[in-house]
Amino acid sequence: MAANASVPRRQRRGFGPAVPALVLLALFFVIPVVSLLLRSILEPEFGLQNYAELFATSTYARVLYNTFLVAFVVTAVSLLLGYPVAWLLAIMPQRYANLVLAIILVSMWTNLLARTYAWMVLLQRTGLINTTLMKLGLISEPLALVKNLTGVTIGMTYIMLPFIILPLYASIRAIDPTTLQAAALCGAGRWQAFRRVLLPLSAPGAAAGGLMVFVMSLGYFVTPALLGSASQMMLAEMIAQLVQSLLNWGLGSAAAFILLTVTLALYAVQIRFFGGMR
Amino acid sequence: MTPAFLSIRDLRQTYGSFVAVDDVSLEIPEGEFLTFLGPSGSGKSTTLYALAGFNEPTSGDILLKGASILATPSHKRNIGMVFQRYTLFPHLNVRENVAFPLRVRGQAEREIAARVDQMLALVQLDAFADRMPGNLSGGQQQRVALARALAYDPPVLLMDEPLSALDKKLREEIQIEIRRIHRETGVTILYVTHDQEEALRLSDRIAVFNRGRIEQVGSGRDLYHNPATRFVAGFIGDSNFLDTAEVAVSGDRGRVVFPDGTAMGDLPVHRSAPGGGATAAQVMVRPQSLRLAAAGLPVRVLDVTFLGDTSTVQFRTGWGQEIWMRAGAEEIAGLSPDATAHLGWTAGESHLFV
Repeated sequence: MAANASVPRRQRRGFGPAVPALVLLALFFVIPVVSLLLRSILEPEFGLQNYAELFATSTYARVLYNTFLVAFVVTAVSLLLGYPVAWLLAIMPQRYANLVLAIILVSMWTNLLARTYAWMVLLQRTGLINTTLMKLGLISEPLALVKNLTGVTIGMTYIMLPFIILPLYASIRAIDPTTLQAAALCGAGRWQAFRRVLLPLSAPGAAAGGLMVFVMSLGYFVTPALLGSASQMMLAEMIAQLVQSLLNWGLGSAAAFILLTVTLALYAVQIRFFGGMR
Repeated sequence: MTPAFLSIRDLRQTYGSFVAVDDVSLEIPEGEFLTFLGPSGSGKSTTLYALAGFNEPTSGDILLKGASILATPSHKRNIGMVFQRYTLFPHLNVRENVAFPLRVRGQAEREIAARVDQMLALVQLDAFADRMPGNLSGGQQQRVALARALAYDPPVLLMDEPLSALDKKLREEIQIEIRRIHRETGVTILYVTHDQEEALRLSDRIAVFNRGRIEQVGSGRDLYHNPATRFVAGFIGDSNFLDTAEVAVSGDRGRVVFPDGTAMGDLPVHRSAPGGGATAAQVMVRPQSLRLAAAGLPVRVLDVTFLGDTSTVQFRTGWGQEIWMRAGAEEIAGLSPDATAHLGWTAGESHLFV
């Protein structure tokens, strides 16, 4: 008993250094989130009318749909593109892997606006991609690659890719290469070894990266604002508009709270099946 | 000459200027249990990996039933392997691990189930079919790995120090099991180990590796009684190497004079392979071949150690070399440290390496 009782006491003592951060979190995260929830059900009067309006009004419902669609496509494409890169990183000699990782990190650390504007230059009607394709005679009219969801998806996939590659690389590196040699001798070619061994063993990394990308995409503001259009808005833009232009705090809070709920639900699913972020 | 079941011909593997495997050749009949024995870095695992297809030999060839397998990728070689590390798929239970090679081959569900049952019975793990690898002991994991490697009936089974992570008692238990499985399945086994006792216990033949070369191939008895080189003599069994002052060789017998002037004749002569290390002639004699004699090599007793069934005695020769003898308690009853004695042995039981 004495031994058991001493454990929580030691843990309680361990909280000490964390107190400032916890106070900060309580003041500037927990309280605002709670007030957000209250505003969404209290303004203009008590009830769930804000939530009802979001789902019932076709414009708002459309924005929710766009947001989830873009987040889903960005996550899926990032996973498809990220797997081969993570795999190559894991098997290439360490000094080359370090070089590629450095390139990925530098691209992550480059200013977000600069990167987004660069995509605008590439994707616009008279941009590099359209003029090249037209010169090659592959298209006769410029493709609409920007100021719509296509542009948003392309730009966001590029920005999110590192968030898939890094956790995936970590979980692929944790797999003993001898296990894959064993799979090969058992008769598994590249595809079978990937599908039956590498994929299930790297699934926690893919889930962690995928969740992070999906959640970040749901609330992303800059790229949709620059590469998207007002007619195909995403949720973060809509919340900004509701609060800043329309001063409708009730509706804006409800939209923000939906985003938070979905995020927490996804995180719960990930913890349940993959044991959380590792 | 018809080619053997499995032939390794002039296999050579270099990494830059380092020669890992140096012209290794072996002919292996079907059903044989052949062990590659040698210290770490002697090229035994590299040779095995060439068979598995994990590294591409610099030159040479490997033929299975007369056809080269070097151009065939690992996953099409149909060779079984048990690794030193635990390589069960951690996300699959025991049954699915053993079924893995059969599923990859697209076999029917019923065939797979029957074969997996048969394999688990072979390694006596029927009761563990639904366990995950993480819940098995090291010995059980290696037995499952063995079942998985044999499930697709490979012509050759490679084993790369599969028991080195296990404790001695468990190792001996599984060695007995491996022998039984070899008898029951008749599969050709190539086994890598650095443990001479394991090699002697398991093998039909042993190939002793040193510095990328095979020093000698033969049965355990051959290697012990007729070591071809100093290295083999030193590696298999216990041994004393005595320096010599003069050597006279005629035919396959030799006569030596030790540095203290003691002479001995009629010793079987072995000529070391080129590059075999030390060049001065030495006489090798096993500790249990030594006897106390009325006349012979004069020595001084350094220490006597009682070990139950036997005792060992440490001596120093007149020229300062230490040698030791293993004998029954009665034979050495009169010996105590600092006493002097004379050692003799049957000439045919010792070997002169020149």
